[in-house]
Amino acid sequence: MFISQQYAVKRDIGEMMMKNRYRRQTLVSEVGQNGQDVLATKHVTVIGGGGLGSNSANMMVRMGIGSIDIIDYDTVEISNLHRTSVFTEDDVGKPKALTLQDRLQQVNRNVHVKAINKKVTSENIEALVVDTDIIIDGTDSVPLRLLINDISIRHNIPWVYAGVYETVGMVMGILPKHTACFQCVTQNILESKDQETPVLGSLPATIAAIQCNETIKLLLGRHPKGLIIYDVWNQCFDTMDIQRNPTCPTCGNK
Amino acid sequence: MEINKRTEGMNGLKVTVMVYGRYKDIAGKETIQLDITEGDTLRDVINVFVKHYPITQKDKSRMIVTKNKMYTSYDTKVTEEDEITIAPPIVSGG
Repeated sequence: MFISQQYAVKRDIGEMMMKNRYRRQTLVSEVGQNGQDVLATKHVTVIGGGGLGSNSANMMVRMGIGSIDIIDYDTVEISNLHRTSVFTEDDVGKPKALTLQDRLQQVNRNVHVKAINKKVTSENIEALVVDTDIIIDGTDSVPLRLLINDISIRHNIPWVYAGVYETVGMVMGILPKHTACFQCVTQNILESKDQETPVLGSLPATIAAIQCNETIKLLLGRHPKGLIIYDVWNQCFDTMDIQRNPTCPTCGNK
Repeated sequence: MEINKRTEGMNGLKVTVMVYGRYKDIAGKETIQLDITEGDTLRDVINVFVKHYPITQKDKSRMIVTKNKMYTSYDTKVTEEDEITIAPPIVSGG
């Protein structure tokens, strides 16, 4: 067989594998092959590679997003392992972003996974996210989320907030100019004083899955509908409709 | 004095409050009615809510409270016609 023929056969096998990989997802009428093709063109940035961010990055890579940046400057600790599904004991001490890149690239070689081993600050956030289609929140601080929110509104980049505490998780998709922003719901909220946030181990994966659902919907053009609240212990799942606040200092009248 | 008036329901004004998350369990229902007096603000509504359900005291300064589906200042005045929602604070762990 000529080299050109070998290349063509290899390419055809690659395309067949791609179709086969997402077959069950493309059968979903809300996605379809067209939706899957759209996802393959999208660039997602995950800020934070801990309980939420690592699980969300894992799911986004498996679902066939085009490219994904994972930003984290921290290293894996043994106390992270109870709430993540990607890291192992052998990863303790290694940089989270680079470990996720290595691991997730093996999961799906068709997705471009890029680790950014940096701390996100007000000085560098613009350069880090300006080309992305959506930001996934894997952070653990209100000030950093407000920074993400601010850049999201300024550059019209959707983002999906997610947070966990004890047995409660929350998710909110934010589409600039259309939905309430994070500032709209946090104007009176103080930062938690906990040194370490108490979290049920299974909760971040649950909330990350809901966060990925909202992300996929946004990428496929569906508008989010308010704040999702999941309370494990009280077995309740709520959506709180929150409209834009015209006096919001970040998104009001923009 | 105002709290006494509310407790006794002397002014007769009530506001409907929809509660979310664990507050539904605490209140035992999704919608509750709280006594208000003319000129009360969202902060007053929160105070009445916490008085009814003291277990929510620790959340008091951080509750997500909306008036007519909009997050507004705790100093915003409320009337009987307003639709108020109260939810537990935003969680920030990752």
